[in-house]
Amino acid sequence: MQDASSTDRAMTESDLIRRACDGDGSAIRELYERYAPRVFAVVRRIAADDDTAQDYAQEAWIRAFRALPTFRGDARFSTWLHRIAVNSALQGVRKACTREKRRVPMPESVPVDPRLGDPLLQDRLEEALDRLPDGMREVLILHDVEGYTHEEIGEMLGVATGTSKSQLFKARAKMRDMLRTDDPSAQAGGMEACAT
Amino acid sequence: MRHLTAEALARLVDGTPGPEEREHLRSCTGCAAELEALREQTEALASLPEIRPPAGDWSELESRLRSEGLIRDGHPRRIRPGSRFASRRWLQAAAAVILFFGGTGLGAMAAPHLGVPASTDAGAVGSNAAGSGSPTTVEASLDGVRTPEEAADLVRSLEQRYVDALVRYRQLQSGSDGHAGGSGDPASRYAALETLVAASQAAIREAPADPFLNGVLASTMAERQATLTRISETGGNDWY
Repeated sequence: MQDASSTDRAMTESDLIRRACDGDGSAIRELYERYAPRVFAVVRRIAADDDTAQDYAQEAWIRAFRALPTFRGDARFSTWLHRIAVNSALQGVRKACTREKRRVPMPESVPVDPRLGDPLLQDRLEEALDRLPDGMREVLILHDVEGYTHEEIGEMLGVATGTSKSQLFKARAKMRDMLRTDDPSAQAGGMEACAT
Repeated sequence: MRHLTAEALARLVDGTPGPEEREHLRSCTGCAAELEALREQTEALASLPEIRPPAGDWSELESRLRSEGLIRDGHPRRIRPGSRFASRRWLQAAAAVILFFGGTGLGAMAAPHLGVPASTDAGAVGSNAAGSGSPTTVEASLDGVRTPEEAADLVRSLEQRYVDALVRYRQLQSGSDGHAGGSGDPASRYAALETLVAASQAAIREAPADPFLNGVLASTMAERQATLTRISETGGNDWY
């Protein structure tokens, strides 16, 4: 016999969205369960800490459910939601004016299905990301982590495409520098090996 | 040729090198290794995992969604700021109805009519639904309303309290909260509903066309009728 939760899982996304538009709590919960880790991941990397990230993520969810009746399905729901999450986090950071730089280890939140084989490498990446200046970090997250194009990033951040590109290249180089500095084994060799 | 700059190498992670850059990368193992390291870094960034939100995130979000009227289980209507529902008259009428649910509790409403003390279940209705829902508090809230946005917020708050109270009422009615007796008594329930119908009718006289109030009245009358039917089916054995 099929229980209620398996019925919900089998339900198509468009059904869930339609029910969520009608204020159906179980449909809203199901959409949350499906996408909360992805939403939280992007806002957590943009925000300074778990608490701030949770505020941004909740704001994103509320905005999304408010706007859900306007979702026409031109894009995938996950793409639409992700964009709202990014915008909420970016607006939150702008509102806070300056992001308090803290060396909070990533994160109290638990990673879901780690794709990187080396958890230490993941920690080092997250820490290096957190140490980047705001502009560089945002562009690097949006481009290299989240896969947005420079045109999309320019639109989201209100900067020219060229600015997005130059920030990305600086951010990659700075990341590389930080990771090399943090990893003594990576310092051996490298540019010193060049004969020219 | 000099070494490629760090930013040039970063560009070449997913960009096409010019002829000179290509030539340099062919002959300079250091720059080629550095470019490879940058590519690995970029791949690693793309593979960073999703992150599960902190425990309790859904509960917090759910209560916010409910207070915003975005979760409306059993109550499919949304009030928008600036709508006609945000009028002071509507607020007063809605508050009058809600106070009967939340301010004193169903048992307390029934008590004067039936000469019985308010049950603990009824107290739970009051505490769950109303919070600070005394008449004085609601009046003070109404007096504090200065803008349409504040009015809309108050409407949403009152509406949510009504929904919470109704959910609680249904829990008590079905006995799903594990409590026995109290407002499970059909006679007390009928008396409470009778009072509520009267309150709803009074509120509707203030705002005759209001769909929310009409909905409250209709559902309350239906509940009253169902309770009356149950009483008659049991042959009045549940009367005192």
